[in-house]
Amino acid sequence: MKNKKKKFAVLKNGRGWLAASGAVFTAMGMSANSACAHGFVGDYFFPPTITTDDPFATDELKLPSVSYFKSPAAGGGPATGTTDVGFEFDKEIFPKFALGISGDYLFQKPDGQQQLTGWDDFVMSAKYQLWQNDPHQAIFSVGALWRIGGSGSSQVGADSASVFTPTIYGGKAFGDLPDSLKYVKPIAVTGTLGVDLPTSAEPNNLQWGIALEYSLPYLQEQVQDIGLPRPFRDMIPLVEFSMSSPLNRGGGQTTGTINPGVLYETKYFQIGAEALIPVNSASGHNVGAIAQLEIFIDDIWPKTFGFPLIGRDN
Amino acid sequence: MKMIKTIPYRLMLAAILFFAIQSQAWAHAFLDHAEPKVGGTVTNSPSVIKIWFTQELEPAFSNIEVRDARGNEVDKRDAHLGDKDKTLLIVSMAQLPDGTYTVNWHVTSVDTHRTQGHFEFTVKAAQK
Repeated sequence: MKNKKKKFAVLKNGRGWLAASGAVFTAMGMSANSACAHGFVGDYFFPPTITTDDPFATDELKLPSVSYFKSPAAGGGPATGTTDVGFEFDKEIFPKFALGISGDYLFQKPDGQQQLTGWDDFVMSAKYQLWQNDPHQAIFSVGALWRIGGSGSSQVGADSASVFTPTIYGGKAFGDLPDSLKYVKPIAVTGTLGVDLPTSAEPNNLQWGIALEYSLPYLQEQVQDIGLPRPFRDMIPLVEFSMSSPLNRGGGQTTGTINPGVLYETKYFQIGAEALIPVNSASGHNVGAIAQLEIFIDDIWPKTFGFPLIGRDN
Repeated sequence: MKMIKTIPYRLMLAAILFFAIQSQAWAHAFLDHAEPKVGGTVTNSPSVIKIWFTQELEPAFSNIEVRDARGNEVDKRDAHLGDKDKTLLIVSMAQLPDGTYTVNWHVTSVDTHRTQGHFEFTVKAAQK
């Protein structure tokens, strides 16, 4: 879902619009094992990441997600600063399979022009957790995104054509390393890889991204109590790489952002913030920012969320 | 422009405050602190292992086991909650020689969320 959460703007036809970003991942398929909800693989808690999607098919609510990014001038149009206020809701339908929907309301301000506002195209998602290995803290999922063409406002450049993006997701934490490398154990990496299949003549884009994170909660709780006080022991510093690579039709070069930041975990929610650093001049010249609130709806309303609508988790 | 730019951030702040003041105590139970400390070294064999969690636990579905480096269980298999503190899980220990031990725990919080984890500690008698 977060592959469609656009992190930078590219001008088209004199109006600003946001291009999707993505992630690259090397899948690690392993034997299936028992599933845990809420982002757990064995002992390791994979936090919901902000600008790349995690591999879990669980109940999630992100509300709101607020970002600001200034896209470079392109196609004869001016540079455009865009504030994006978004949401995402995912629901586990049957064990390990979830459906989701996300939306972004855009406030676009092209240089020297009036502000434009409106909804971007809505995106629906489906995801299935295919493999999981608890002792090795690894997971692999498959899914697809459907950007619903025509569901947003053309004023902000929402496309009238739909885009389908089959995607693979994966995650690996390193708690299975030997004790001689104990301070490496809290590291985890997740990633996604998808290919845009537009229903128009737009290019096919490879959407790829990686999140590299260091879990201070895992360090404190399962590796070494180093005496970190709260709130620091509840923080997860990370860096995400969110990229889009056109494959054909003169789509241009790879664009994207590198997003260093931190996540803060509480009992009921996670709040995260990242800088959005353009990887090249085609992506932009200014550093943007994003902040997101992830609500742990299965903890707040455990009788309503945290289990599939049909069937039961192991 | 200024009003529009601040509305999203006000929305986020309002959402954070709303969920922060939820009175319900339900949530996943995570390890808060332990005795011996996670990754710690003690000079005397501990008589009990204590783990404090962030939520109250269901005793019937919560357990600790301690194993030595060879995988042998060395606790007394009497895991129980604290008398007055339902976030505290305790297991009694046999006398332990010097060595590194693994504590494996799995708990269910009162709202039925399950979590699990493990950590190591070392017994190393003080050199005379």
